[in-house]
Amino acid sequence: MRFLKAWRDSDAFNLVLVVPAVGYLLAFSAFPLIYNVVMSFQQVDMFDVGTLIRPLRGFGNYVDVFARSEAGTVLWNTVLFVVMSIVFQLSIGFALALFFQLDFPGAKWLRGLFLAGWVMPALVVGAIWRWIFAGDFGVLNYALRSLHLIGGPVFWTSDPSIALWSIIIANVWLGIPFNMILLSVGLAGIPDDVYEAAALDGAGMIERFRSITLPLMAPTLGAVISLGVIFTLQQFDLVAALTQGGPAGASNIAQYWSWQMSFETYEISDGAVVATLMMTVVAAVALIYVRAIRHEQRA
Amino acid sequence: MYQIELDHLCKAYGRVQVLNDITINVETGSFVALVGPSGCGKSTLLRSIAGLDKITSGTIRIGGEVVNDRPPRERDIAMVFQSYALYPHMSVERNMTYSLRLRHRPKAEIRECLEATAQTLGLAGLLGRMPRDLSGGQRQRVAMGRAIVRKPRVFLFDEPLSNLDAALRVQMRSEIRRLHKRLEATSVYVTHDQIEAMTMADTVVVLRSGSVEQIGAPRDLYCHPANRFVAGFIGSPAMNFLKAKVTADGLSAALELADGQTLTLPEPQRPGRPIWLGLRPEHMEIGDETRQQHLQARVESVESTGSMSFIETKVAAVPLVVTQSGMPRVQEGMTVTIGINTNDIYAFDMENEVAL
Amino acid sequence: MKRYLFLVVALLLAALYLFPLYWMYATALRPGGDLFRYPPEIWPSHPHFEITRVFLTYAVGRYVWNSLVVASGTTLITMVLGTGAAYVLARSRHPMVSVTLFVILVLQVLPPSLMVTPIFVAFNQLGLLEWPRLAVVLATSAKTLPFYIILCRATFAQVPGELEQAALVDGNSRVGAFFHIMLPLARNGILVVSTLVFLQSFGEYVYSRSLIASTDLQTATVGLSTFLGANAQDWAGLMTYASIYVTPILVIFILLQRHIVSGLTAGALK
Ligand SMILES: Nc1ncnc2c1ncn2[C@@H]1O[C@H](COP(=O)(O)OP(=O)(O)OP(=O)(O)O)[C@@H](O)[C@H]1O
Ligand SMILES: [Mg+2]
Repeated sequence: MRFLKAWRDSDAFNLVLVVPAVGYLLAFSAFPLIYNVVMSFQQVDMFDVGTLIRPLRGFGNYVDVFARSEAGTVLWNTVLFVVMSIVFQLSIGFALALFFQLDFPGAKWLRGLFLAGWVMPALVVGAIWRWIFAGDFGVLNYALRSLHLIGGPVFWTSDPSIALWSIIIANVWLGIPFNMILLSVGLAGIPDDVYEAAALDGAGMIERFRSITLPLMAPTLGAVISLGVIFTLQQFDLVAALTQGGPAGASNIAQYWSWQMSFETYEISDGAVVATLMMTVVAAVALIYVRAIRHEQRA
Repeated sequence: MYQIELDHLCKAYGRVQVLNDITINVETGSFVALVGPSGCGKSTLLRSIAGLDKITSGTIRIGGEVVNDRPPRERDIAMVFQSYALYPHMSVERNMTYSLRLRHRPKAEIRECLEATAQTLGLAGLLGRMPRDLSGGQRQRVAMGRAIVRKPRVFLFDEPLSNLDAALRVQMRSEIRRLHKRLEATSVYVTHDQIEAMTMADTVVVLRSGSVEQIGAPRDLYCHPANRFVAGFIGSPAMNFLKAKVTADGLSAALELADGQTLTLPEPQRPGRPIWLGLRPEHMEIGDETRQQHLQARVESVESTGSMSFIETKVAAVPLVVTQSGMPRVQEGMTVTIGINTNDIYAFDMENEVAL
Repeated sequence: MKRYLFLVVALLLAALYLFPLYWMYATALRPGGDLFRYPPEIWPSHPHFEITRVFLTYAVGRYVWNSLVVASGTTLITMVLGTGAAYVLARSRHPMVSVTLFVILVLQVLPPSLMVTPIFVAFNQLGLLEWPRLAVVLATSAKTLPFYIILCRATFAQVPGELEQAALVDGNSRVGAFFHIMLPLARNGILVVSTLVFLQSFGEYVYSRSLIASTDLQTATVGLSTFLGANAQDWAGLMTYASIYVTPILVIFILLQRHIVSGLTAGALK
């Protein structure tokens, strides 16, 4: 009883609340993370999945993975996927954020509608886009042909040179709302009088954007870009729905490749190698992000 | 009703020492004000008494019992916060009776306490409202009501009036004072407004960066400040300080920057000693030849509110503020004679700033 | 006048952006044969919803039920574990707080498609794959928990500390102040964030795909991806499936739109 009473008033209460959550995260998130690194140095396949002690392979798995013929394509595709997704998400998102900053009836509400893309399950979004992309009867080809932008049908998901772009387009669609909303918050944080002062100083629209908006948005842009990279590196469902990395690996990206090795060909240690490398990248970006928001708080 | 004894109280946040060896005795039923500049540790001290902050060392006794390790709810205190901290999801009535309900008092008793308190504070018509539907002054009253409704051993106030406009503040000042007279509860009142402290408290504690500078009745602090800090802090506008040196006879002080003007000190001092001379603006009178001593000064600016005038002058290059009642006939650039009585001259050691 | 011009442009932009959602519903409303006609019909001329057929051929009911089970379990675990932690991380000044927050931020960004390999192996060894939906709930919660804690922490941080202290002085214990004052005041924020967690886990794919072997227990996303296969033909059926699945999500979204916007932005940048 005494103990119970003391507990209700003391810092022990804090521990009782925090420890389960942190313990859970350590068990189901931090532990798998470490276990993954361990497996990347072991030989793990179908047969010794169940055992704990497995033959050690050192960096052998890493060498194997880079020696694979598809490694180069996957690496290049991943870079292209991330960079292009970010470039378009960010520029379209920024443009929309600036536009919805204008004063007109329903601006807030219409802007909010864009978040519908964000709450949709990515796999469903992938399925819809696959139908939009369809070669012969797809609505996108129809639209582009009506506008005389293309001559014959484009086989978005099955043409090896374009397949990756179909994933990028769908991913940009998914990423626009988040970029736009976060950038809107950043824009709203710039006080009006700064613009008014600049206008009095004789700065035009473009000059104001260049000398006020951009520099003041720098921390937000930093945070949004790092978040964008993080989300893009998490993107799996779109690949599964649109191309499954095909045709013949032409649109494969690292996170999907890792999963394929683990769950389709059961080369689990190779899957773990790719996962380990990718997580290092993600962690590095996360560090930049954390620093960016720290900076933002100080500002 | 209980006494509060703070004994060698220290509090540090990491390496930062926020409260430094504080020893204060708050008599049963007295009203003590804690004053000091922003960040000096007033709130921290109050929150330590309440048990909201843990102290690093020392003891806190309430009614003779050591309460260091007691949680706030076992200290039987009530606190009025600067932001009022009314529970936004409870009506005025529920806000006020929350502590009684937590103590499982009988319904009839709660009703009775509530009605009596509402009567005292003129809240009877507001009991059903939510805090967001109240004006600032009404919220302040509800916060007071929430504190007095359960008749605690000790009242703590943390700048309760600082969010009110000037007129309301004056009104609440006397109301709190009246309440205290009636309830006779031991009260500790934090404020950075020295006028509040001087008008409301029996005893004033002046704090500076975590240490007690002086404890005393308001009058004592004004008439006998222990050091230059207290002298400058109490009184408005603040006391003027002029660098000076005690003359060879030990009886008067030569103003260092002035053209050899001297003032006679009330007490003789060691010849040649460097000191601060302290002159309160309200103790000086321009053009009054009847006072015991005189200074020549040049008028720099005159600000008048009608009933009061603030005259900034310079003695040689040193600024000296003088207040006068009404609107004296002086103008910028005039050289005037300022009269002052010997007993109104304060002297402080130049080094340690202690009153001499 | 200019304001209305902007409004028109905004409407066009929103329509363009939301076209994929419209196309999902429009396709679902067309009879199967109509789909393979060129040019495609932008506005379905003979609306016709094949709910019964889709329920029968694609077992939508079972799949969506499984998604519901997984999402409810995940939301429950996340709320139970996360709420208290978010509160402490918002209030405590202990030096460990920033370390914990940092760990949580880093754990939040780990891609499930990469985490699933070690989770699969470990769960397999622990025998957790015997209860595949539970396995998915456990894995997904580890993903949603950091997100929940970070957003809820922002909510708790908005409740003035003095309110809690007033409750302590009024005679509450820490536990009492938490349940009587903090929780009711943070309730709206908690509900919005929980809804977001629910929506997220309702659309979860990677873990369900990788950890659930039995078709009977698979979730709606996995079902849809199976039917998509390499050469899907029945687009009217698939889009009907998708519509049945996401319409509740979109309804919740529209109801909570305003709160979702503010909830999301509070957490990501502060
Ligand atoms: N959690 C904390 N960690 C570190 N330092 C703190 C903390 N809380 C307060 N302080 C420091 O303690 C000192 C005293 O703070 P306190 O709030 O008691 O001042 P105060 O006298 O009430 O000031 P004010 O008149 O502005 O309210 C300040 O210098 C403050 O910076
Ligand atoms: Mg304070």
